Amino acid sequence: MASGKSRISTVISFLGPLLGLAFVMGVFISNPEVRPYFLSGANFKIVFTQTVIVAVCALGMTLIIVGGGIDLSLGSVVALTSVVGATLLAKAVSPVWVVVLTIGAGALIGLLNGVTIAAFRLLPFIVTLGMMGVARGLAKWLAHDQTVIYPETPLNNLMKPDMRPEAPDALFPLPPGVWIALALALLMTVVMRRTVFGRYIFAIGANETASRFSGIRVQRHKAIIYTVAGMFFGLGGLMQMSRLTQGDPSVAIGLELDVIAAVVIGGASLNGGSGSIFGSMIGALMMAVLRNGSQQSGWPTYFQEIIIGIVIILAVGIDKLRHGRAKS
Amino acid sequence: MKSVLHRMLFCGLAVSMTWIAAAAEKTYTLAVIPKGTTHEFWKTIHAGAVKAQRELAEKGVTVELIWKGPLREDDRDQQIQVVETFMTRRVDGIVLAPLDSQALVTPVVNATKAGVPVVVFDSDLKSDKQVSFVATDNYKGGVLAAEHLAKLLGEKGKVILLRLAVGSASTEAREAGFLDTLKTKYPGIKIISSDQHGGATRETAYQASQNLLNRFGREVNGIFCPNESTAIGMTKALRDIGRAGGKVKMIGFDSGTQSVLDLKNGDLQGLVVQNPMLMGYLGVMTMVKHLQGQPVEKRVDTGVVLVTSENLAETKIKELLRPPVEQYLN
Repeated sequence: MASGKSRISTVISFLGPLLGLAFVMGVFISNPEVRPYFLSGANFKIVFTQTVIVAVCALGMTLIIVGGGIDLSLGSVVALTSVVGATLLAKAVSPVWVVVLTIGAGALIGLLNGVTIAAFRLLPFIVTLGMMGVARGLAKWLAHDQTVIYPETPLNNLMKPDMRPEAPDALFPLPPGVWIALALALLMTVVMRRTVFGRYIFAIGANETASRFSGIRVQRHKAIIYTVAGMFFGLGGLMQMSRLTQGDPSVAIGLELDVIAAVVIGGASLNGGSGSIFGSMIGALMMAVLRNGSQQSGWPTYFQEIIIGIVIILAVGIDKLRHGRAKS
Repeated sequence: MKSVLHRMLFCGLAVSMTWIAAAAEKTYTLAVIPKGTTHEFWKTIHAGAVKAQRELAEKGVTVELIWKGPLREDDRDQQIQVVETFMTRRVDGIVLAPLDSQALVTPVVNATKAGVPVVVFDSDLKSDKQVSFVATDNYKGGVLAAEHLAKLLGEKGKVILLRLAVGSASTEAREAGFLDTLKTKYPGIKIISSDQHGGATRETAYQASQNLLNRFGREVNGIFCPNESTAIGMTKALRDIGRAGGKVKMIGFDSGTQSVLDLKNGDLQGLVVQNPMLMGYLGVMTMVKHLQGQPVEKRVDTGVVLVTSENLAETKIKELLRPPVEQYLN
């Protein structure tokens, strides 16, 4: 009985974000002037490419938010790791090591966040707000307040939506970054739903005290959650670097808000204990589709900002309504 | 899945057909992408683009202009997104002022590959795929500023350069022109600060200026700011500490309403002025020429002029300072 009910609510939480995405796409498709551009394969190629960085970061952020936390340092960590990657490449480190060390740098910042939050029982909001400044400053310091240019590397192809002159409207080939994001999303879905670690995250987010009493080492798991999330932010930084073909200490300001919005649109609660990788991915895609479609429709920039803001509030409002009904 | 692919293919076909039809009727859809939209400088460029559009209309060439800045100003990634989206929208041409000389290379190369030509204006791009580069000779602008400042200071004194932002090729060229000229031609002038950046807005520039003047305010004799926002921020900060009005010789760049007012009030001793109206105009004209199959120059210079309180009254200068923007934008 109980499992049947939870299965239905799972289905609903799957459908919610998807319906939202369908609605947004419907708005643009229904405009006959926009439709041909909007529905072209090439357009989806670039929408997917534009989603990758937010999506990869949202994988990490989903862990944190489901676990009842928040990470405001994300944008700064992406900037810092993009600078770390670019600096290593400029020093002629091999691309494989650059990938490892850049993701490692993200993990290190995540570990610092997690340990500080866990060891001193501090509010994640405050700790990561502090780290937002620290990481941004570190990035500018490391980069000498400039963008870091490096010689051409295969890593640049990670985020390149290569257009083929003979078929400029084709969806394929998609850049490797899109496939990586997809594979990681599948992996994390399994981790969240099928592993002990994943279930612990839900438990900690839903009720920290109860989790502790039932024998979960809450503080240690918190540190692990932020570290794993940090790895995703590091990968996000690597992809940001690849996209700009340079390390940029001033990039991704406010990216954390886009990512949090994607996770929340995807059905996660900022109170912790609920959320899904699938939802977050759809949320990330929806934001990119909104931006792309608004521009295709020729809406002015300020109008786009207003619309995106309203969509976030609507998504959360509808989610709240749904949860309220489910409870009664 | 298959039907989706079919539909995508069909749409692709439909797009290319409308595109061909459009070319036959000589209607060109051009996307003009500035670095931002709030500065008056960009509004003047917009006016210049509209001027070109109207002149072309008189000749029977219809141009549809889409004016679109990045969602967040100063955000390279956002500008890449704007370029990419216009590429898949299959506009006939993109006229772009790149926020970064390196980061925008890939999207421009991509757009060219997808059959959408790009004219770069205002700031240079480290690529040879663009049809043409339409801009001020910014280095020359920096040289003009240095020579005028040296004259005002009697070729000796302490000078500050407040930079704009890293990666912005146009202002970096002005900064280089300024520094190179002072170092080689005027050994009596000492540069006491040239490593600070004002950032994207008047507010950040104002703060950076306050911090700089807090440290060097008593000893500095001359200042150069390489764009509108830094010049306005610095002049404001100078007024705050009572060193404006010529006590510190101040040279700015670009001609916004506030800067011109500062020049008239004597708070600015010189303003290096570009011709944004001509830049917007020539940007569009060059693109249309290229689309019509005519050869275009790889580099189009749009000129710089030094404006001081002496030549302020000249008609030519007046028109440069107060371009008839209202005539073209509503």
